[in-house]
Amino acid sequence: MGAYVLRRLMYGVGVVLGVLFLLFLLFFTVTAPDDIARKALGEKAPAEVIEQWKANHGYDRPLWPWQDLDDNLLFDHYRKMLTFDFGLSDADDAPIMERIKQGMGPSLSLTVPLLILGLIAAIPLSLLVAFFRETYIDRMGVFLCVLAMSVSSLLYIIGAQYLIGKILRWYPISGFDADPMMLPRFLALPVMVGILSGIGGDVRFYRTVFLEESTRDFVRTARAKGASEARIMTAHVLRNALIPILTRVVLAIPFLFTGSILLEAFFGIPGLGSITVDAIHANDFSTLRTMVYIGSLLFIVGQLATDLSYGLVDPRVRFE
Amino acid sequence: MEAHPVSTGTTADEIMTGGQGESLLRPRAAAFRRAFCALGLIAVGLLACSNDPYPPGDADDVVYYSSFTDPPRTLDPAEAYSSRSHALTGAIYDTLLKYHFLKRPFELIPGLAESLPEITRLEGGRDRYRFEIRRDLLFHDDPCFELGGEGRRTREIVAQDFAFEIARLADANVNSPVIEPFSNIEGFTEFSKALSARREEDSAFGELPVQEQYAAIGGISGVVTPTPYVLEITLGRAYPQILYWFATEFASPIPWEAIAYYDGEEGRPRFADHPVGSGPYQLTVYEKQSRWVLEKSENWYGVRHPEWKAPAAVYPSEGTEEDRRLGRLADAGKALPLTDRVEFRREKEGIPRFNKFLQGYYDGSGIAKESFDQVIQEGSLSPEMIEQGVWLDRTIEPVVFYLGFNMDDPIVGTAKGDRARKLRQAMSLAIDPEEYLRIFHNGRGLVAESPLPPSLYGYDPEYRNPYRGLDLERAKQLMKDAGYPGGIDPETGEALKLVFSSYNTSTSGLLTYQWYTSAWKQLGIDVEIEATNYNQFQEKVRNGALQLFEFGWGADYPDPENFFFLFWSEMSRVKNGGPNETNYSNPEFDRLFLSMKARPNGPERYAEIREMVSILAEDALWIPIFHRETFTLYHDWVRNAKDYGMSIPFYQYRTVDPRSRAELRKTWNEPIVWPAWVLLVIAVGLIAPGIVTYIKERQ
Repeated sequence: MGAYVLRRLMYGVGVVLGVLFLLFLLFFTVTAPDDIARKALGEKAPAEVIEQWKANHGYDRPLWPWQDLDDNLLFDHYRKMLTFDFGLSDADDAPIMERIKQGMGPSLSLTVPLLILGLIAAIPLSLLVAFFRETYIDRMGVFLCVLAMSVSSLLYIIGAQYLIGKILRWYPISGFDADPMMLPRFLALPVMVGILSGIGGDVRFYRTVFLEESTRDFVRTARAKGASEARIMTAHVLRNALIPILTRVVLAIPFLFTGSILLEAFFGIPGLGSITVDAIHANDFSTLRTMVYIGSLLFIVGQLATDLSYGLVDPRVRFE
Repeated sequence: MEAHPVSTGTTADEIMTGGQGESLLRPRAAAFRRAFCALGLIAVGLLACSNDPYPPGDADDVVYYSSFTDPPRTLDPAEAYSSRSHALTGAIYDTLLKYHFLKRPFELIPGLAESLPEITRLEGGRDRYRFEIRRDLLFHDDPCFELGGEGRRTREIVAQDFAFEIARLADANVNSPVIEPFSNIEGFTEFSKALSARREEDSAFGELPVQEQYAAIGGISGVVTPTPYVLEITLGRAYPQILYWFATEFASPIPWEAIAYYDGEEGRPRFADHPVGSGPYQLTVYEKQSRWVLEKSENWYGVRHPEWKAPAAVYPSEGTEEDRRLGRLADAGKALPLTDRVEFRREKEGIPRFNKFLQGYYDGSGIAKESFDQVIQEGSLSPEMIEQGVWLDRTIEPVVFYLGFNMDDPIVGTAKGDRARKLRQAMSLAIDPEEYLRIFHNGRGLVAESPLPPSLYGYDPEYRNPYRGLDLERAKQLMKDAGYPGGIDPETGEALKLVFSSYNTSTSGLLTYQWYTSAWKQLGIDVEIEATNYNQFQEKVRNGALQLFEFGWGADYPDPENFFFLFWSEMSRVKNGGPNETNYSNPEFDRLFLSMKARPNGPERYAEIREMVSILAEDALWIPIFHRETFTLYHDWVRNAKDYGMSIPFYQYRTVDPRSRAELRKTWNEPIVWPAWVLLVIAVGLIAPGIVTYIKERQ
C-alpha cells in the first residue's frame, strides 16, 4: 500500500506542476499587467501610478527564465504557489491567505450541513424507492427526480427566495451572520435549496446502485433465510453499495472547503465560492489563480482519498 | 432524546429471528407515530424562525440600515477613489471643508477649519491658502496611539496631520490617484521625486518609518504649518478648484501612528482595512465581505462641543423650496449626528436587496430593474408603494454619458474641417435621446444638452443644443452639405463606413449600440460595432485608434472646470495621456477654459461657460446623451434623506423613527405557517398508502 500511495503522490506532483504551468500561461501571458493594474486602480489612474502599482506587485519583471534567470515571473510563480505564499490580491492588496482563512468558515458552515443533510435525505429516499421498486412510489420517485434534475439551480434559488423568504417569510431572503444564534436562520434557506437542487441526481444514482445490489446472490440468500426486506435493504444492500456512495462522498469532501459558488453568491455568504466570483468580477488574477490552484490540489487529494477509502469498506480491494 | 434507529433495528432483529407477523405491526405503527412526531417537531422548530436578518434588540435604537454590493478596494483615504470606499471613508474621515447638505448648486462650508481659508495672491500668479484649524479636535480612539505614549487612546488633531496626509499623496508607494490636482501645490512633485530617488539610492532609508522619511526629505515646500493650528498651502499656479479637494478625504488629517502601527505585520491589519479617522462615525465592525458597522464617535467635535454650533456639526436651517416642502428643515439647528449607528449588509443581487427593503429590513433602496414597472408607474410611485408608506427621492447626478468622436481621425476629426463638423452634427441630430432613455433606462435620466450637468455652476436649464434632438430632415441636409449625400462616400461610391468602438460586450450593451447604428443607418451611414474588453478599449483610446465611442464622466467635485477640462488640448489623451479622450484642440476654447478656470463664480465666469458650451455644440465632438437620474426609495420612517449625486455620504443628517419601523416590520413579516402542514400531509398521503399496502402484503 505504501508503494501505491507513493506512486499516486508522484502522479499528483506531476499534475500539480502541469496545472501551475497552465495557470502561468493563462494568467501571465494572456493578460497584460497593464490591464490588471488599470482594473485595480480605476480608469482615472495616471500612467505613473499604474507603473508604480506594477512594480509593487512584481508585474514589472520579465516573464521567462531566459530573459532573467534570477528574477523572472515563472520561477516566482512556482516558488510562491508551492510554498503556499499566495501574496497579495490584485484587487485590494489584501493577503490572499488571510482571505482564504476567513472564507473557509462560512463555506464550511454551508457545505458541511449540505453534505450531511443531503446524504441523510438522499440515502433513505433512494432506499425507499428501491424498496418499493416497480410500484407507483418508485415510478413517482423517479419522475420527481428527473423533474428535480431538469430544473436550473438558479430557479430553485430565486424561487425559494421568493416563496420561502418573501411570501411565507420563514427565513431571511439572503445574508450571513456568524453569530451561532443567528447562523441557522441564514443557512436554512441555502441548505434547503442546495439539498433540493442536488437530491434528484443523488436519489437516482443511489437508487440505481441499490437496485443493482438487490439483484445479487447474497440478497437472494438473505431472502431465502427469511430476512425481512427492510433488513435486506439496510444491512445487506446498503452495506454492499457503500463503495459507489463512498466514491461520491469522499470526492466531494475536499470541495467542501472551496464552497458553493452559486449558493454563496446568491445568498450573500462570504465564503470561498463568493471570493472566487468576486475575483472574476474584479479581474483579481492573483486570487483567481490561487483558487484554481487550491481547487486542483483538493481534486488530487480527493482522488487519492477515494482510492484509499475503498480498502476500508471493501477488504477485497488490494493496492498494487 | 429519541432513538428511532435503535427501535427500528430491534424490530428488524425480531423479524430476522423469525418473529411472528402479529407482533410486527405494533412496533412499526409506534415507530411511524414517533417518526411523524419527530417530523412535526422539526417542522415546528424550523418555522419558529423568522426572516429578520438582524439580532433582536434594536427596536429603540436610531440605526440606519443600508446595503452594499461589493466591498471597497481600500479605506486608505489617500487611495480610495470609488463610491464603494467613500460610503465609509466619507463618514469616518472629516475634512477641512464640507458641502452644505441642502443647498444647490453645491456650497462649501467650514468643517475642521474654523472658516473658509484666507486666500493671498503672491507674485508669479501663485496663491496661498491659509486654514485656521479648530482647537481640541480629537482622532477616534484607537490602540495605535500607544505609539505616542503608553495608555494613550487618542490625541489632538493638529496641522501636521494634514501636512502628513498631503505628503502621503505625493508618495509613489501609496499609489494615490489624485497626484495630478495636488501637484498644483508648490514643491509637491519635487518632494515626490526626491523621496523616490532617495529610496532607490539608499535601501536602508526606505525601511525607516514613513513620517521619518518625509521629515528627512524636508516635506513639501508649499505645505507649511507655522503653528499646530494653522495650515498654509501655496499653489505654484492659480487653481481655485483646490478648495474642493480639501472637502474630500484625500486631504483629511491622518495620524502617523496609524500608518506606523497598521502595517499588516504580526497579526495587525493594514491601514487600508483599519481606518483611524476624525469624522462623525467610527468603523466598529469591518467584516469586509459581509457586514460593516459605523457608530457615532464620541470624540467628534460635534458630539464633544455642541455649544460651538459649528456649521458642519449642526443641521442646516437653509435649503431649497423642495427641502421645505418635504420637511427636510424640520430638524434645523439640531446637533449632529442624528443617527447613532449605520449598519451595512452585503447584497450582491438586486432582487433580494429590493425584497428586503420591501420587508422593512433596509431603510432605503434603489429600484431593481426587474421591479421598476411594479414600483414606478407613469413617472411616479405606484399605489402599492404609496400604500406601504414608501417615498421616492429623485436626483440628477453630476454625471454625463456621451458619444465621442476622435478628433484625430481622418474622417470624423479636425483634418476634414467643416465637412467632418457637419457630419458630426448630422449624426447627433439622428439620435433621439428621449427614446434612448425610455428604452434603455426606464426613462431615468435627463437629456443632456451639453457636458455640464444640473446642480453645477453655469448650468442653464433653458439652454437647448442646436444639434440635439431628432431632426432627420436637417440631418440629411447636413450630410449633403458635408459631401455625403444619402450617406454615400464620394470616394468609394458606397455608404460611408465608420467604426463604433465599445468596451461593453454584454447583450444589453450590444443592443444599445445597435440602436445607435440603426439611427445612423437612416442617414445612410454604415457603422460597424467593434466591442472589446475594457482594457483593449483603453488601449485604443490611448493610441487614438478609434473613430466613435461611448463614454461617461462623473464629477470629482462640483465645479464646471471638472467637465470642461475634458476638452482642454493640454489634456489630450494621445499627446499627453490626459482625460481628453476626443483629443479635441481649439485655441479659442483653451483660452476661455484657462480664464474660466482661474475665476471665482460670477457673471464673467458664467458668460465664459456659456460661450464654451456654444463652441462645443457647434463643433459637435460629443453627442451628449443624458445625465443619470437616481431613483431612491425610502420608508416613511426615514427623515432627511437627500441624495447628493456624488459619492459623499450624509448619514449624520439622516434619522429614522425606530419604533414605527419595528411595528411595521413585525406586521409585514408575520410568517405564514400553514403551507408547511399542507406539505407534510401531502408527503404522508403519498407514501403512507404504499407502506400500508406493503405491510398488508407481508402479513
